[in-house]
Amino acid sequence: MARSLWTGSLSFGLVNVPVQLVSAVRDQDVRFHQVHKDTGERVQTMRVASTDGEEVAWEDIAKGWETDDGEMVVLTDEDFEAAQPEKTRTVDIDLFVDLQDIDPVYFDHPYWLLPAGDGAGPVRAYRLLVDVMGSAGQVAIGRIVLRAKEYLVALREQDGLLSLTTMRFADELRSPDEIDAIPQGATGRPSRREVDDAVALIGELTDEFRPARYDDCHRVRLLKLIDEKRRSGKVQIPEPEPEPVAQKAPKDLMAALEESLAKARGGKGSGGTGSGGSGTSKRKRSAKSTA
Amino acid sequence: MTAARSLWNGTITFGSVAIPVKLFSAITPHTLRFREVRATDGVRIEHKRIGAESGDEIAYADIEKAYDEDGEQVLLTKEEIAAAEGTHPKVVAIEHFVQADEIDPVFYDKPYLVGVRDGGDHAYRVLLAALEQSGKVGIGRFVLRSRENLVAVRPLGGALGLQTMRFDDELVEKDDLEVPTLNKKPGDREVKMAGKLVEMLQDDWTPEDHEDTYREAVMDLIERKRKGQKPRKAERRPEEGGDLADALEASLAGGRPKRRTVAERKKATKDSSSAKASSAKKAESGEAAPKKKAAPKKKPSATKAKPESSASKRTSRKAAAKKKPAAKKKTTTKKAGS
Repeated sequence: MARSLWTGSLSFGLVNVPVQLVSAVRDQDVRFHQVHKDTGERVQTMRVASTDGEEVAWEDIAKGWETDDGEMVVLTDEDFEAAQPEKTRTVDIDLFVDLQDIDPVYFDHPYWLLPAGDGAGPVRAYRLLVDVMGSAGQVAIGRIVLRAKEYLVALREQDGLLSLTTMRFADELRSPDEIDAIPQGATGRPSRREVDDAVALIGELTDEFRPARYDDCHRVRLLKLIDEKRRSGKVQIPEPEPEPVAQKAPKDLMAALEESLAKARGGKGSGGTGSGGSGTSKRKRSAKSTA
Repeated sequence: MTAARSLWNGTITFGSVAIPVKLFSAITPHTLRFREVRATDGVRIEHKRIGAESGDEIAYADIEKAYDEDGEQVLLTKEEIAAAEGTHPKVVAIEHFVQADEIDPVFYDKPYLVGVRDGGDHAYRVLLAALEQSGKVGIGRFVLRSRENLVAVRPLGGALGLQTMRFDDELVEKDDLEVPTLNKKPGDREVKMAGKLVEMLQDDWTPEDHEDTYREAVMDLIERKRKGQKPRKAERRPEEGGDLADALEASLAGGRPKRRTVAERKKATKDSSSAKASSAKKAESGEAAPKKKAAPKKKPSATKAKPESSASKRTSRKAAAKKKPAAKKKTTTKKAGS
């Protein structure tokens, strides 16, 4: 099992439950290591002091904050804990809200929050929270400090356990107003017909969300080309396809929508999801081009 | 605040419609940036690459990636690794659409905002309007930073948003965990009291009410350290063991007897007598939050995706997300007086 990243207590009113945090995401990426390109010797990273070049052991490394006038303030783990001691050891439940009210953009990293230890008392208190949160159908909002950063967190019951997801603060989200390239204002609003056509096309291309159907094609291709390199000593690099041509004029867009709609209604079942479906998308793209 | 810079230029396609777009990060995390230093004297740390056996320094240009397969080392150049990106690296190809509320939020990873380029305005607006109207999300794939991602294209605060997604096999399921058996059922009285406590703490989700207070505390700490003052002494909350039912009862009766640091106490004087858990908590966190509700900031939270999960293989996760509260009992717990 994944190791716990944090242990502390979950506090709900005056009830404190000892808990531990385990990541709910595992890294499945293909891992490479660095080697010297000629000798194949493995590369290691060594941490050295910039002044005397001496190696510095991991436990002798601290965090430094550089002030505006160039002074370096050294901070240790104990310092960070002292900043707000309670927050580094407890997750306080502040309020309960409806999950549906929170846009997923607020959610950051998912974790499992599990009972720490198997003492009868703590396990019972944990179970009580699972039961109560499950039946309330709501998420609890609290806070946690992880790696010297504070997060809002959302706790909910999932699979008879508690899950915890770190969240972004509202002022960490960028407003679309800050970005010039995002179309704003009423001029240039699409016509009713265009939107209706687009909605109809979306309807034709709609499917159930079945997460298991999506393979990580990148991982698959990477492993395949590693194998290719091992066996033949080289890798074939595919030619990139040209960028699709955009429909800039509204009438071209309309034509593209209607053509796609006709195609979707005619030949259903082409919405292949496996490997990015080069066959179908190629046909779609070349069928219509505009000047 | 630096001006938003685009991270990626490409094209979103669905059907034969092609929209030329730019991508911007939707987040500006306020993580404090620290440097790695030597604890004893604050000298900066540098990273040196050396050969594992020889100990010789190796220039960056001489480094290549290798993959270990059955003890055999396969070397790959950057170009060869890039070949895994596929043949249309500049396209977000929407493969199909799904109902937004079928996607459990656990699948969503990094959010981006989508802008337009080269006269893609009109098609951009059409897609955005159609997604808003239908409550759907486009699922596609695209390559960002040398890696192909599964992505969801969805409305975000009045713009098109794009959010990378986790693959199903990246999620750690309950079966992968070691959990003590939770077969001791809590008593009826405990469940009832805990339920009541949840009710007391029910509120609306107003993201602007929740601010990062820790960052300020760390900045304060840095200032104290710089001046050679001792950091404030850590106060520990007394461990509460004891009886579960008693703790619940006490919580319902009066909230938690809080111990506060000097700074927190100063800022929270007005509210100290309040037994209302939610407003007391806010005052305690050192923010003048209760007054703020009158002027909500504009935030990209306008869209209400309804993250219920779907009929999928992920049945148990789904079950959790799908439950709806029987009734919203918010009226009693609204922030009175704010």
